[in-house]
Amino acid sequence: MILDQTKYLFITTFLFLIGLSGIFLNRKNIIILLMSVELMLLAINFNLIVFSVFLDDILGQLFALLILTVAASESAIGLAILIIYYRIRGAIAIELINLIKG
Amino acid sequence: MSFKVELIAMAPEIFLISIIQYLIIYGVICTTSSYLNYPILVNNLSWLSLQVLFFLGLLTSYNPLTYTLTFNDLLILDEFSIFIKTIIIITTACTILISVKYNHFERINAFESIILLLLAVTGILLLISSFNLISIYLAIELQSFCLYILAALNRTSEFSTEAGLKYFVLGAFSSGLLLFGLSLVYGFTGILNLGDLFQFLCVNPYNLHIINGINLASLFILTGLLFKLSAVPFHLWAPDIYEGAPTTITAFFASVPKIGILALLTRFAYLGFYDIFFSWQELFVISAICSILLGTFGALMQLKLKRLLAYSAIGHMGFMLMGFSCGCFEGIHATFVYIVLYMMMAVLSFTFLLGIYRKKRLTRLNYLKDLTILTNSNPLIGLSIALTFFSMAGIPPLAGFFSKMFLFIVAIQSSMYTIAIIVVITSVISCFYYIRVIKLVFFDANYLWVTLVRFDREKSILVSVITTFLLCFAIYPLPIVYGVQNILYFLVRNQFDLFYT
Repeated sequence: MILDQTKYLFITTFLFLIGLSGIFLNRKNIIILLMSVELMLLAINFNLIVFSVFLDDILGQLFALLILTVAASESAIGLAILIIYYRIRGAIAIELINLIKG
Repeated sequence: MSFKVELIAMAPEIFLISIIQYLIIYGVICTTSSYLNYPILVNNLSWLSLQVLFFLGLLTSYNPLTYTLTFNDLLILDEFSIFIKTIIIITTACTILISVKYNHFERINAFESIILLLLAVTGILLLISSFNLISIYLAIELQSFCLYILAALNRTSEFSTEAGLKYFVLGAFSSGLLLFGLSLVYGFTGILNLGDLFQFLCVNPYNLHIINGINLASLFILTGLLFKLSAVPFHLWAPDIYEGAPTTITAFFASVPKIGILALLTRFAYLGFYDIFFSWQELFVISAICSILLGTFGALMQLKLKRLLAYSAIGHMGFMLMGFSCGCFEGIHATFVYIVLYMMMAVLSFTFLLGIYRKKRLTRLNYLKDLTILTNSNPLIGLSIALTFFSMAGIPPLAGFFSKMFLFIVAIQSSMYTIAIIVVITSVISCFYYIRVIKLVFFDANYLWVTLVRFDREKSILVSVITTFLLCFAIYPLPIVYGVQNILYFLVRNQFDLFYT
């Protein structure tokens, strides 16, 4: 079995799809949603690093490093918004997010 | 290795970042000082930020450089970006101007809201100038993070926090999709620069392995960007977010970030990926038709004003995507004329939403029926509302009619007859909910007359200037139409330069 680029790309694409379906199939609470977003960003990082190795180009790894920084701040903001939501509502179940509808 | 060119070219952004830091320090020191008795600085910072935006507008429009690639091909400065930056600065200034008295009424006392607005503007300015996939992603994230926090600004309101949460989920998800597309572009071509991508795709358009990869990547990129524009089929939470967020923030993100994303879409579709434009065109057409249909039929059933404006924003976004899908120069010309006029009308409609509240119990405008028989209390407001909504519906001789007419002419010229017919019929149906608002304001019967708080001075000036402009556009359209054409000429000229280098 030749371990070429597509074998690595299977892993990253499946990780990305797992994160994506974690957002859609989530019926429990919002923390799982935040974890799925982080999983998507991690899969994209792996994707960029794999491409960087096989293209022999450093820019992919640079891009991955910057995305890592942004992902950290994004999860900080997501958790902050979750906290102020929890203070008002008292619960983080998905089915209770229905005050604004139509 | 000198950064002199970068300092001159990126002077607006560098100025804005430095001023934001100064304003943060000023805000923190003054609001936490017991000597000054802990003042509330929102009003003060609003007027300061208006001054900052004025200087920023001067710095942007009077730039001595013409076509410059700065920071090692990361950011670009050309006439297109200068024009869009000027529109954004003017629209942001209008948004901050109309929110001054409303912040006092709604008790939004955090001065950080103004700082976050200016940071979001920084992100949008960087997004417009960006030429490299890395800077596109970083600028989108900078703008989006500030908007997530701003949507959840009213911490004691359930609607606001829920809108912030929904906006965060939507934005994070769409950024993830966009980023996956960008990483696939990098993976299949090894190129992170939009100009190099254009040259690469011109040179080998028949390499199937790469073109399939680029098509997949552009699908993800377009999906991520259409989420941010709230076009169909990605529009689901936009009305909820518009309704829940504080109205001043809704006024900001119904108008300003969309201009930035549309400018980015122009750079992608007409510069980066222009060689595979036929695959983007199909997606644009489908999204445009569905946006207009769903925006119209969704708005027919709405009882609340902010949701009505949200669905009408979805409809207008469909119009702009229809202009994008034409693929010719007249297409983006018509789209940008539409964008300029639509921003004016959007700012106006939010001005009325923010300015009209009752004196007796200080209730704000929530439902459509709160607008009944406004003309008896304030006839000039009734007249201005009539002019604004007639213009949004597209009634001649107001400006909205001409903007729609340019788009229809361009669509028929590009042989897209189906979409033109569907859009014409739907825009007739959409007249209904605009004219319903006018009927409510003028003709509906209400046995209790309302006394309104006096429509304050900043909003009055803004309303009068913009309605005069909408009225007189039919007589003198020259500044906008030929101005946009001159500026978009430079976009085409730069593409031509890249093609022959």
